[in-house]
Amino acid sequence: MEQTEPAGHEEEHHGSPWPVIIAVGMGVGYVGIVSPSIPILVLGLVIFAGGAGGWIHQDMQRPSSAFYGVAAAVESRFPRVSARKLAIWLFLATEIMFFSAIIGASWTLRLRTTTPGLAFEGPWAQPGEILNVPLTGLNTFILICSSLTMVEALAAAERGDQRKLRLFLLGTLLLGMTFVGIQAFEYQKLYFGEGLTFKSAPVGVNPLYGPTFYAQTGVHGSHVTAGVLAMAYTTRKAFKGGFTKEHHEAVELVGLYWHFVDVVWIFLFTIVYLI
Amino acid sequence: MATVTATETSGPIEVEPKRPYVLVFAILAVVTLVELSVYSLGLPRLETIAILVILATIKASLVVAYYMHLKYDHRLFRVLFTGPLLIASLTLLALMFLFGHLYIKIM
Repeated sequence: MEQTEPAGHEEEHHGSPWPVIIAVGMGVGYVGIVSPSIPILVLGLVIFAGGAGGWIHQDMQRPSSAFYGVAAAVESRFPRVSARKLAIWLFLATEIMFFSAIIGASWTLRLRTTTPGLAFEGPWAQPGEILNVPLTGLNTFILICSSLTMVEALAAAERGDQRKLRLFLLGTLLLGMTFVGIQAFEYQKLYFGEGLTFKSAPVGVNPLYGPTFYAQTGVHGSHVTAGVLAMAYTTRKAFKGGFTKEHHEAVELVGLYWHFVDVVWIFLFTIVYLI
Repeated sequence: MATVTATETSGPIEVEPKRPYVLVFAILAVVTLVELSVYSLGLPRLETIAILVILATIKASLVVAYYMHLKYDHRLFRVLFTGPLLIASLTLLALMFLFGHLYIKIM
């Protein structure tokens, strides 16, 4: 069915080849993992990195896209829904499933360890016995602070306040880096100091404690790291004047991802550290 | 381009100056402190778990509603978020039911 463009809106079709190259890189990398073949995996990663770099370089050359607001009604079944924002929410929906699978598997194993007579029977570490709860509580607070700075950055972008937009984005970036840094410090202490490895746990603790801990917090940490990289890109673009009062949807999309990572951590902090 | 409100479009949210971002932040910080207090109080295990899960749910709901703007945004996004969350929660419960203590109690 033919639809007309809303008045005053200019559709954007830049026809960039880089997303396709990124997808090819991911596909080749996946083949490398499944085969398994290190050279094919490395080739996939190189293609992926090249595609990502090319896309970032291309996007950095111009102001933020005008593709927001009512634009997406063009090909959408849902009138007045931005296609990009819809894509981000769909992505977050898949992320919910992904994290629930990781957490569900970990909890299943944990419940089995405490069920007499079943496989993997053995004591689970008590909260605070191995993990540094106060330090992680501080890290949780840092992530909450970063959510505030992120949403304030978006508010500044909406007002067209360039100075505060840059300031809050930079603050979010620094807080995110601090979170990752503290987690790396925690890992180093646990792995080399406490003997909590990817395959085992300290004496007297069920060996599944280590793998489940690193699986849950590691997957989240990798998401935060990806968020930090996205934030670094967004911040740099903001400092180059890439966002305006009218064109700043990228700030909101990155923010949605960032807040979601915060939400996941809120549950992980409770599940992994406090319970 | 004409200004549109969040209820009319899902594009960038028109952020109203009165949105309670700092208040939400304060609540999140306080609830985190309460969580740490509950953890250190040494209450019975079941009560501790129940309280901590409720507190975490409150915190997550605040972030989703106010920082992710789900409270103000298009209802499609609410469905997209709560639908998978419901499925995931039920799946988690089913897993615990099948493989955990509940299974033993039933048997």
